[in-house]
Amino acid sequence: MSEENNDLMSDARKLADMVNSGDEAGINQLLDDIISKRQSSLFMEVGKLTRELHDALNNFKLDSRINEMAQEEIPDAKERLNYVITKTEEAADRTLTAVENSVPLCDEMLQRANDIKNDWERFKGREMEPGEFRALSKEVDAYLEFLINDASQIKHNLTDVLMAQDFQDLTGQIIRRVITLVGEVEENLVNLLKVSGSQIIKKGDKDKAKSGLDGPVVPGLDDGGDKVSGQDEVDDLLSSFGF
Amino acid sequence: MDHNMKILVVDDFSTMRRIVKNLLKELGFENLHEADDGATALPLLKDAGDFDFLVTDWNMPGMQGIDLLKAVRADPNLSHLPVLMVTAEQKREQIVEAAQAGVNGYIVKPFTAATLKEKLEKIFDRIDG
Repeated sequence: MSEENNDLMSDARKLADMVNSGDEAGINQLLDDIISKRQSSLFMEVGKLTRELHDALNNFKLDSRINEMAQEEIPDAKERLNYVITKTEEAADRTLTAVENSVPLCDEMLQRANDIKNDWERFKGREMEPGEFRALSKEVDAYLEFLINDASQIKHNLTDVLMAQDFQDLTGQIIRRVITLVGEVEENLVNLLKVSGSQIIKKGDKDKAKSGLDGPVVPGLDDGGDKVSGQDEVDDLLSSFGF
Repeated sequence: MDHNMKILVVDDFSTMRRIVKNLLKELGFENLHEADDGATALPLLKDAGDFDFLVTDWNMPGMQGIDLLKAVRADPNLSHLPVLMVTAEQKREQIVEAAQAGVNGYIVKPFTAATLKEKLEKIFDRIDG
């Protein structure tokens, strides 16, 4: 028998004795004692719960980290990610421009070299008149001149392609910072769920909550759904439709 | 394959449009036009009426590629236009949906110049043959 129940039993015996002996004052005193014992343990329990609730609410309110993240760091991260989009787009544009400027130069280089090669073969085969040879000689001169300008222009364009890759350093740093922030937000959200006593949503419910298109597949990340892993599987799938 | 054919390239990202256009140029096509989503592409196709080939992305704001494909197939003047989809969407059900909507080819991003060439040749071999 617990200590509390022992006390209660001895109180009950005392009470029975007092009733038998007709001790009115004693009975009243004893009943008051029993009630106040009960009440004090109840009050202690309520007090404890109140304190815990108060602390939890205070912790929540005072967690300035959450506030800071919501007010400053998340909007800030959005700005930073927009900057990543801008930088990568700029780099892609710069690279494409350099390529678009270089391809016609290469085409002309090829075309003119082919023309000269044909004439040169004829010259080697002694199929060329002196007048024609003079024309060829002039053409070779002009081609060499063109080649020097052309090659240095292409080299300049390639340097531009090279320099356009400098976005990687900046965007890499920015994205890494945002990943850290997202990790922290996740941790705080989990804590919040624990405080509020809610159960974390089961993983299976994730797919239902998502809607729309998935976008690019990211290696090592399963968005759910039955996906192909590349062009070969697309071709296999389509061949079953008679493609 | 007729290298003078009129081609419309539809993608919401200008860099992607430039890449596809450059690759098509490399394959000898010169008559290239572009639009940034289905909603701008469809009137272009309808008004001009002389496009020979459509290359479209799937995921775009405004009108999506799949809806553009369906609209093209539903229009009696455009229904025979060959359509190649170039997209990052890799769900089996989406590829099946595109096939059922009448797509002529499906390329997943990222893709290579060789893949684009191969699919183009396949599409026009079927049409010409």
